[in-house]
Amino acid sequence: MDITDQLGSMRAGDMSRRAFTKSLLSAGVGVAAVPLAVRKATAAPEDQATFFTWGGYDIPELFVPYNETHGELPNFSIFGGSEEALTKMRGGFVVDVSHPCNSGLPRWVQSGIFQRIDTGRLSNWGDVMPELVNLPGNEADGSSVWLAPFDWGQTSITYRTDMFEVEGEESWDMLWDKRYSGRLGSLASGGDAWWCGAIKAGVPMSEIHTDDAFDKIAAVMREQRPLIRTYTDDTTTLEQALSSGELVAAMTWNSSATLLQSEGVPVKFAKPKEGALTWVCGLMIHKDAPNLDRAYDVIDSLLSVESGKFMINDYGYGHSNSKSFEQFDAETLAGLGLSSNPADILEAGHFQVPQTQEWETKMNTLFEEIKSGF
Amino acid sequence: MTDQTLQSGSASGTAGPRAGWFGRLIYRSETARGYTLLTPALVFLGVAILVPFGILVVMSFWTAEGFGFDTTLTTHNYEQFFERPIYMALLSRTFGISGMVTIATVLLCYPMAYYVAFHVHRNKMFWLVLITLPFWTSYLLRVFAWKVVLGYEGVINSALLSVGLIEAPLEFLLYSKQAVIITLAHAWAAFAILPLYVSLEKIDKSLLEAATDLGDGPVRRFFRITLPLSLPGVISASLLVFIPTTGDYITPALLGGPDGAMIGNLIQKQFGPINNWPMGAALSIILMLCIAAISLIFIMLTLFVRKRIS
Repeated sequence: MDITDQLGSMRAGDMSRRAFTKSLLSAGVGVAAVPLAVRKATAAPEDQATFFTWGGYDIPELFVPYNETHGELPNFSIFGGSEEALTKMRGGFVVDVSHPCNSGLPRWVQSGIFQRIDTGRLSNWGDVMPELVNLPGNEADGSSVWLAPFDWGQTSITYRTDMFEVEGEESWDMLWDKRYSGRLGSLASGGDAWWCGAIKAGVPMSEIHTDDAFDKIAAVMREQRPLIRTYTDDTTTLEQALSSGELVAAMTWNSSATLLQSEGVPVKFAKPKEGALTWVCGLMIHKDAPNLDRAYDVIDSLLSVESGKFMINDYGYGHSNSKSFEQFDAETLAGLGLSSNPADILEAGHFQVPQTQEWETKMNTLFEEIKSGF
Repeated sequence: MTDQTLQSGSASGTAGPRAGWFGRLIYRSETARGYTLLTPALVFLGVAILVPFGILVVMSFWTAEGFGFDTTLTTHNYEQFFERPIYMALLSRTFGISGMVTIATVLLCYPMAYYVAFHVHRNKMFWLVLITLPFWTSYLLRVFAWKVVLGYEGVINSALLSVGLIEAPLEFLLYSKQAVIITLAHAWAAFAILPLYVSLEKIDKSLLEAATDLGDGPVRRFFRITLPLSLPGVISASLLVFIPTTGDYITPALLGGPDGAMIGNLIQKQFGPINNWPMGAALSIILMLCIAAISLIFIMLTLFVRKRIS
């Protein structure tokens, strides 16, 4: 295109209307494209790693080191249950880091959409508790793992101490208590609820795959269903309902009880006599992670002592970094239902045993039917 | 007719001797011209609707197998639908809820549309904009707003408590079928008002005057003139509300509780945690077929009624 004095030539009558419109168009395209150029120049959010995680982990407190290095938080995408997350990623959703738990680990590895983590690239790896690394299916070989353990805890009952009258010892029977029909809540995901049902039905974790176990657990879940006001994967919904008194007891993780206590709501995280459900969750890197370096930064940030302190103090979860526990005395930890030795907690409860994909589909189909009233 | 088209076609064809083969084709054939104009829409329809629909149909005849699919064609999923009671029950509950929502929405919106069509003479546009005002916020936000209104410590319960009409909060307001019906009826109101308004607006006022002159009272006049003439609006409003609400899953997921779940929730779960995509596909196809059948019956019925009363 020749460079011409546009206005001058128009005044002189040299320029056709078409030529002038053309220049206007190019100017317009230029102006419209300016924001794109600027975006590229500064750190655009799409340059940050994407962390696909449970609700509640998308907060700056867990990414202090990451934020210091990159000046921004990672991008977050949230799921309500790890089955849903796996299905979404298998459907083509590419993230950098995701957050499964031990019961799903072998299946997540089998799906073939993850890469092994080179532990040499994580500055905090030396402090990670070895008993959490050696999970079934993790195939830890000293220099690489599938899953970098991050948090561990329990699924149990959070109940209002002022509204729920405990008969005898704390027990899973509390969530089957007919006196409080319509005022009990539950997590909707079979990954928690079904296993708690197994504990209630007295089925050992190692036998949960048998047909007999299916019948027994289905029976207790059917018995519980009319008593439940709502099944939800959104812990905030349960917390709000507990805080208003709409619910008097609900199946939750540690964090709900700790958060409500810090707000002054009289709740307690039960230690059921049958044992709570225990789990370890961690981080995996997608095989096509577009920002691999930053994916390692996300993991390193989550494994840092700063994050650990927050996890223990504010959420009441165990953390995988042994140094995080040095910040707390034994009494505080006991008050939170934790211990600096994870084995104390994990083995006191019922640790989930990984199952096959067929089992997961069968269990979820059946549990959905039960939740709908069949 | 055909000859004439051909002649005029060839006449215009000679008028543009410099046009290429495509230009000549366009000039000669009216059909080609029509299809050319339709191309963008047809391509979009094909790529965005027909191809995915085809995939869905094919997938509904597969079965899930671990992480993958067994691609031998079988009607297993459809047999499951009739064998296990949950599917039929959820489907009928869904149509029950959507039917209630449709009736409630049309009944509530008809007077509003009637008012704007017959009694507002200035600033009609302003009134219509006012009616669509709730639509300026996101759907999700409206659902959450209803959660606040209907909740245990919500607006209705606090009001009733403070007036002293009830002693404990009403629990059936939230996490129930009723909550889903109320929320959907509100969320889809504008989709009912606008078609109702258009059909009421079109009614020739002289017909109403004639009816009055011939001795009809207001009520008789409404049922003999206004209602039959506005039936097209009622039909389209009903379909516009009924069809999308049957597939809704956000509202029952957030407000429905265990008893308010709809088929959309189950379809979503088949593609999510249950991880049985073929079953989800089969359920979607069945839902579509049912909606088509119900819509057809509904249209026939209204046409029949219209013939009877006019």
